[in-house]
Amino acid sequence: MKTQPTFLAIVSLYLGGCAATTTIDEFRPSTQPLDYGAEEKVVIIGRRDAGHYETDRDFVGCIGKEMRGAEISVLPEQEFIDKLYPWFEPRTAPKGLPRLKRLMEEPFIRDRVNTEDVRYVVWLDGTTETQGHMGSMSCTMGPTGGGCFGYSQWDKVVFIEAIIWDLADLTEKGRIRVDSEGTSYLIGVVAPIPLLSPVKSDACKGLGRQLKTFFAEESS
Amino acid sequence: MSISSVKTGLIAAASLALAACGGTANVMVEQQFPNVVFEPRDIRAAIIFDDAFRTYKATPVEDVSIDIGTAQVDLWSKAFRGLFNEVTTHQDRTQVPEGTELVITPSVLEVQLSTPSDSYLNVYEVWIKFNLDIETADGEAIDSWFMPAYGKTPDSFMTSRTEAIEEAAIVALRDAGAKLILDFYRIPSVYSWMEQEQKL
Repeated sequence: MKTQPTFLAIVSLYLGGCAATTTIDEFRPSTQPLDYGAEEKVVIIGRRDAGHYETDRDFVGCIGKEMRGAEISVLPEQEFIDKLYPWFEPRTAPKGLPRLKRLMEEPFIRDRVNTEDVRYVVWLDGTTETQGHMGSMSCTMGPTGGGCFGYSQWDKVVFIEAIIWDLADLTEKGRIRVDSEGTSYLIGVVAPIPLLSPVKSDACKGLGRQLKTFFAEESS
Repeated sequence: MSISSVKTGLIAAASLALAACGGTANVMVEQQFPNVVFEPRDIRAAIIFDDAFRTYKATPVEDVSIDIGTAQVDLWSKAFRGLFNEVTTHQDRTQVPEGTELVITPSVLEVQLSTPSDSYLNVYEVWIKFNLDIETADGEAIDSWFMPAYGKTPDSFMTSRTEAIEEAAIVALRDAGAKLILDFYRIPSVYSWMEQEQKL
């Protein structure tokens, strides 16, 4: 029967065509896990000071969820920003270690950070871009029915950098950069069939997994 | 199903789709803001939130109104409590108690809105231009401080117009609180007044 190879070819195209390629680069001064006390927490925050893009809030939330298995507890981003208002707003958030040091010299800021037991801040900076849109699709609807016909494809690129700051000694503990890209398709055969590349979830899983290794021994 | 009922259904669906894309947006900003982390100075201040400020509703474009009155009173009350040791709020200047050292009257000069259809960017943006009249208890003017604040949504994808404008307005109000804390004591005339009153 000839239908089986055709079916397998379609399934392969479906699964293969929508894959994402993810590259992770990491810099850390030591392979040892980072130190932290039993009550200490990490907070993951997105950069929001750039004019033309903003680090995706969903992505920041996704990394927080990926970190759940880690031994260190994660303080939700908005809770941390509210507890330290207005020092982590887009206008006031420290962009580098010298500014962080200056902020932490203020006793009222240091006291609040200590009260909340926040030991590490992970800054996420990056965005998702859609490039190379090709093809066209048209959808029509009439009294007797409707449908979509055509073909469209586009590339999605995610690049995110995570920088880990230690609020105890005000130093940088490491950097991870994730680049993920993939092509998505939309095929219109009466009904539109989306074949979406999971670039964002791949980047989130990759970065989350790598970030976890900073806070615990990697289990094989 | 008859053809006429299908046509009626299609017309209704198209009308709904068009209404969802445009129409009037009445945005009510309902938000409680966090307390400010700052070291208040030993100053007794009275803040005048007049009726115009408490019920302020902006109309940045013909078909959009943004009610920020309640939210901005909450934000400014908390922000001023971070700046000064003793803060009282009043509806007009006649209610200011004795012993007050500074009287501040905030007002909104203008609210501007930019939508994706205006800017071709995938974000909604809100600018709020505030003015703070800063006086001594005797009514002597210290400064009239112009203070712009800015807020935008992360992106407008899958967000309703009303929700997006509200979100951008909340970010702009939070920005106003941040700017107040950051810059108030750097205003040259306020600094001179504090020097004169030995408040530094």
